Parts: sequence; structure tokens; C-alpha cells
Amino acid sequence: MRANSMVAMILAGGRGSRLYDLTKKVAKPAVHFGGKYRIIDFPLSNCANSDIQTVGVLTQYESVLLNSYVARDHYWGLDTNDGGVYVLTPRERDDTNLEVYRGTADAITANIDFLDNINPEYVLILSGDHIYKMNYDKMLAYHKQMNADATIAVREVSLKEATRFGIMNTDKNDMIVEFEEKPAHPKSNLASMGIYIFTYKTLRKYLVADAKNPDSNHDFGKDIIPAYLNDKRKLTAYRFRGYWKDVGTVDSLWEANMDLLQDNAELDLGDPTWKIYTEDVNALPQFIGENAKVEHCYVTQGSVIEGSAINSMIGTNVYIGKGAKVVDSVIQPGAKIGEGATVTRCIVADDVEVPAGATCGSKNSNEIQLVAGKVSE
Amino acid sequence: MRALGIISFEDSTANIEGLCDHRPVPAIAFMGRYRIIDFILSNMTNSGIGNVQVYAKEKPRNLIEHLGDGKHYNINSKRGKLRILYGEKSFSSDVYNHDVANYMLNMQYIEEDPNPYVVIAPSYFVYQIDFNEVLAQHVESRADVTLLYANAKDAKTSFLGCDVVKMDKFKTVTGFEKNRGNLKSQTISLEAYVMTKKLFIELVKKAAETSSLYWFKDILADSVNELNIKGYQVKGYVACLNSLPEFFRVSMDLIDHKRATQLFKPGWPIYTQTNDSCPTIFAETAKVKNSIVANGSTIEGTVEGSIISRGVTVRKGAVVKNCILLPGAYIGENAKLDHVVVDKYAIVHHVKKLVGTDEQPVYVARRDRI
Repeated sequence: MRANSMVAMILAGGRGSRLYDLTKKVAKPAVHFGGKYRIIDFPLSNCANSDIQTVGVLTQYESVLLNSYVARDHYWGLDTNDGGVYVLTPRERDDTNLEVYRGTADAITANIDFLDNINPEYVLILSGDHIYKMNYDKMLAYHKQMNADATIAVREVSLKEATRFGIMNTDKNDMIVEFEEKPAHPKSNLASMGIYIFTYKTLRKYLVADAKNPDSNHDFGKDIIPAYLNDKRKLTAYRFRGYWKDVGTVDSLWEANMDLLQDNAELDLGDPTWKIYTEDVNALPQFIGENAKVEHCYVTQGSVIEGSAINSMIGTNVYIGKGAKVVDSVIQPGAKIGEGATVTRCIVADDVEVPAGATCGSKNSNEIQLVAGKVSE
Repeated sequence: MRALGIISFEDSTANIEGLCDHRPVPAIAFMGRYRIIDFILSNMTNSGIGNVQVYAKEKPRNLIEHLGDGKHYNINSKRGKLRILYGEKSFSSDVYNHDVANYMLNMQYIEEDPNPYVVIAPSYFVYQIDFNEVLAQHVESRADVTLLYANAKDAKTSFLGCDVVKMDKFKTVTGFEKNRGNLKSQTISLEAYVMTKKLFIELVKKAAETSSLYWFKDILADSVNELNIKGYQVKGYVACLNSLPEFFRVSMDLIDHKRATQLFKPGWPIYTQTNDSCPTIFAETAKVKNSIVANGSTIEGTVEGSIISRGVTVRKGAVVKNCILLPGAYIGENAKLDHVVVDKYAIVHHVKKLVGTDEQPVYVARRDRI
């Protein structure tokens, strides 16, 4: 297969406003997950592991950190001679002023010149904020086998959950006949994962037409897919079985972290055949102190635990002081839990210091407390 | 920094019994996620030394794999260069395979280097040093050679077989002798030197002409009256990893976080090869205290006073005390280990009890199954 027959485009421009202060200074794809990773490591590692060589990352909101992070394509082994990671931000042009990306489809349309230069046969559209492992090469094989114009990855959800997703109604051959966004009465349980493979030539025509349509939202789900269906294009659903999570809220980010702690976790980050790659931060090993207690935890390098950590995710360079108690919580990289402090059912944001003796969260709370900024004693 | 870095190899008195059967001292796993060579090499690159030559006496496979092109040690891929060099000929006897012979066989690479100074240091001494400060003092003192030393307070048990530096009150080196463990306090040579490249080449050639068995330190000892050799004291934590009990003692020593931070100063990262392991899983049944743990491990049992390297498994009911588990080691259910060094990918499964001592830790060989 020619190196650049499929190019991946990762949509990473969203703020993720339901993560509140976690995304105050960084875009959602750059938010830490699983102790040492950033969310965007997942699609990027999936690309690398699927032998995709060229990846465009479309950024917009608070992109300084994200841009410089993804540009280091050697983190993921994407630094081959033919490929690389390309940061694509809104730009000023000869004939237009600086225009922000108006929607998911518009972000791709705005970079048609980039795609034309590479001239790929297929384009893979990904979202920069999902946690999962997937072999896109297999999905491409399916796309070719079905001779489709577009292939949409779907997963089976319960009918109750289906009301929260974009739902694909299919015929018996898994060809998509109808798309419904968050239907009140779902007819199918196949939820779109926001992962699309398009045959580029066809997609290009639709993008150009969509850009001229004043009534369009310039969105893949709302505009491009319906336009394909309208024209009776061949759209097929690719069923994905395995762990997948949209970590768009504080609760779901916490849950996804906790999922990693489960025995025989569905998402196995230790699988040597499908590693998730990330930045090498040169942290020290973990130091577990004399009076420490560490039970049912996922702990990463650089952390120093003098107190106790139970059922928690302990990120890079986290410090947990003597007598401190961290329970059912996610401690993001660089955070410090002072001596004797208690942290229960919380996400403690990056580099936050919980002062000695402070109490954050409670075991009876329905919602996970986000601890960001200054914490009072 | 205008110096060529040379990482020399230790002589055969340094032998970490067992571990050295499989790789040279610099390539031995240390503190969970490092190899011993990471410390001196990071000292050099952090000091701004961009050209580094690593000399390998034998078995270079491990080192080549670990060091690669040196990019992960922050060696600039265009303006810097990491070379792994070894004598590309077979020596008729092991005694001829010494540092001077290897420098002679690679002399063109030393001569070609544009830097006016050389910094030479072996990797089996572990400490933190900024070579800029050493070079500054070297230039200021107008010495011919500046030699690094440490004040050992436990020389009766540590630094055995190392060279003791004799100095006058101006820190001018007057001679060397062996540390045979007679005295508690000794000034130990770290076998690390700063000098002009020109003098280094002269001394290497002189050594080769004098005796085909001469090491670099032999010619230096011969030259104490002709050369102005000045001592430079290295403060902070210094250890010499030259035997299994010392390797064991030092590893145990550094479990103390405060002590370890003397080797890991802020702004002075110790680089190593990443292997993209995931975080370590501490199971519900895990009881871990007073230990260093690297990533990629699974701990279900009890671990105390131990060093757990990458990718280690400690199964339920296992009790690991005062042990060093090297990468990929597997400790089966209910196995009880005390004072044991388990080499890479060894499996402790059928034997349920292994007990060593501080002086004689038990060694389980690489890929062994017991």
C-alpha cells in the first residue's frame, strides 16, 4: 500500500466547555488522561499503529500547547520520511481574512489545499477527544470491500442510551439508510462514533458544495452525511466492538479513568501490540514511602506517595503527603496533596496544590468534584 | 562546552556478580527505570557536551540498543554526535583489552574532534556534576589535569578496590594507592579527568609505548611528578557500583527519596530510553511500602524496601522484601523473597522461599525459571 493512500484528519479544535477549568488554558484533546497520557495520544497512537503516516490535526481553541505537543510527531513514531503530523490552524488567506473553523466539515474544507497536495485516495476523519483503541486499517479494508463512498464507525448501545447519540438506521447489509441525531424514539442501536472514512474524490465535491450553501452548519453529522444519503450514496456502518468513551464531562473523564482500574479492564494499556504512546517526561520512578498505603490504584512515574491512595488514578509527578488520604479520585499530573488532606471523589487538576489538612469532595456526592485553582484550607 | 566527552569503561576489578555475565556495568538496570550509564551521560549532555564517545569493552549489544543515536539524551541530531566505540579487533588476551588500547584503535575519532578539551569519566561511579564548573576551575588553576574525587566516609566497606588519591594541601595529586578497606575516610578517585585534548592524546600514546598492559590511570600515576594534577571534590551523593553487594547497598540506599534527590536535582534531568509502558497497577491486595516502583508493572502482593523495575509482576500472596527486581521479572503466588536480585525476565514460580543477606544477596539469573 502506498504510504499516503489514507490521510487522517483529527478534529481537535473544540474547547470541551463541560470540563470547565480543566480546559481553561488547554484544549480538550490536550487534557491528561490515565495518569501519563493526553487524550489526543489515543487517536494519534491508533493512527501510528494502523500504519497511517500522514496526520493533520485541526486545532483552534487554546491551541498553543496542543500545537507544539502534536507537532512532535516522533512521540508517536509518526516522523517517517513520507509522513508526519501537520498542525492545521485557521489562517488568513490571499482572498479572505482570518476565518475560524465554522464546523467540523468546514475545518476540512478550509484545508482542501493541504489534502490536494497529498492527494490521498481516502480520508479518515477522527475526533481528538475519544478514548479507545481501534485499527483504522481494518476499517479501511471494510470500506474497500463494501465499495462504499463513506464508512461510519458505529457501536451498539442500549436503546435508552441511543437517545444521546447520532443513530444510524441500516438495512440488513449494514448499509446506512437514515441518520438521526439524538432521536427521541430510536429505531436502531447503532451509535456513530464520529469516525468516518471517505473516498476523497467524492468527499471533495460535497465539501465544495457545502461551503457554498448558506444554510449549512458545515458539520459532518448534520450536513455532509445527510447530503450523501440524499444522493443515495453508498454509506456503510462499520461495527466496532471494544472500549470507547467520549470524555466530555468531568464525570465521564473520571469514569474513564476509573475504568482503567477494573480487573481485566476492557481498555488494556499494557498490551505490547497496541501501545499508546505519549511524551517522555523524564520523571523519576515512583517513590512509595514508609507509611504509604496504595491499593487498587494506577500510579505513574515521578509520583511520591507518603500517604494513602485507594481506588485512584495517580498522575505523573504527583505528591501525596504524609497522612493524606486520596480515595476514588483522579489526581492529574503535578498536583500536590498536602499532609493530612482528604480528597474523595474528585478530579484534582494539573499542578493544583491541596493544602495540608484540607478536605475536598465527599463519598456521598452524586457528582465528581473538580478541584482546580486555589483551594482554601 | 568546548569539550569532547569520553565515557571510559571500568577495569575488571569492577564486577557486579551475576548481572555482569549478561552485560557490562554501564548497561545494568538501576533504580527501576535507568541504566547505570544514564547518570554520567546525562551529566555530560546537561553540561552542554554535544560530542560524546562511549567506549565499550565487550558485549556492546545492550549499550547500542539503549543509547541509540543519543537523541533521548538531548544530543543534538545535527550539531552533536554520540559514538559507541570499541576495539574492532580481537585481543589475544583479555588483559590487552583496556582503555588505552581502545583509544588507540579509535584515535582518528579523537583527533578529528574539534573541541580543545576532553572530559573523561567512567559510568560505574554515580553522582551529579556540572562539568562546566570543573572546566572553569581547570582553566583557572592552570593545572595540566583536573581529577575528580570524593571524600568517602565509609571506605572500609564501600569503594573497595578503588584508587585513593594522595594530595598535598594545595590539592595537587602526589600519588595513588588502592583502597583496601583499612581506613574509614578516604579520598577516592572517580577516574574522571578534564584536560586538553592534546595532552590526552599524548598521554594515551605514551601509555601505549610504555607498556601494552597500561591503563590510562597507570600512565597518570607515572606522571604525577611531571604533570600538575589537581583534585576537584565532588560533593553530594557519590557511589561506586563495582560489586553485587555495593550495587545492592546503593540501590537500597536510594529508596530514601531525600537521598535520591541528591542525584536528581531540578533542572538536571537524568535521561533514559523510554519504552512507553503504561502506569503501574497496584491491585486491591497490594501492600507496598518504602519502595521504588517503575511503570508497566502489576503488583498484587506485598513489597517492602525494594526496587521494582519496569514490567515486573508480583502475584498475590507473594512477599518481596529488600529485593531488586529487574525489568520483566515475574514473582509467582506466595513466593517469599528477601535480599534477592532477580534479573530480567526471570520467573520465580516453583521455589517459594529465597533468602539472602546484605553481604550476599541471592542472584537469580536472566531468563531463569526457578
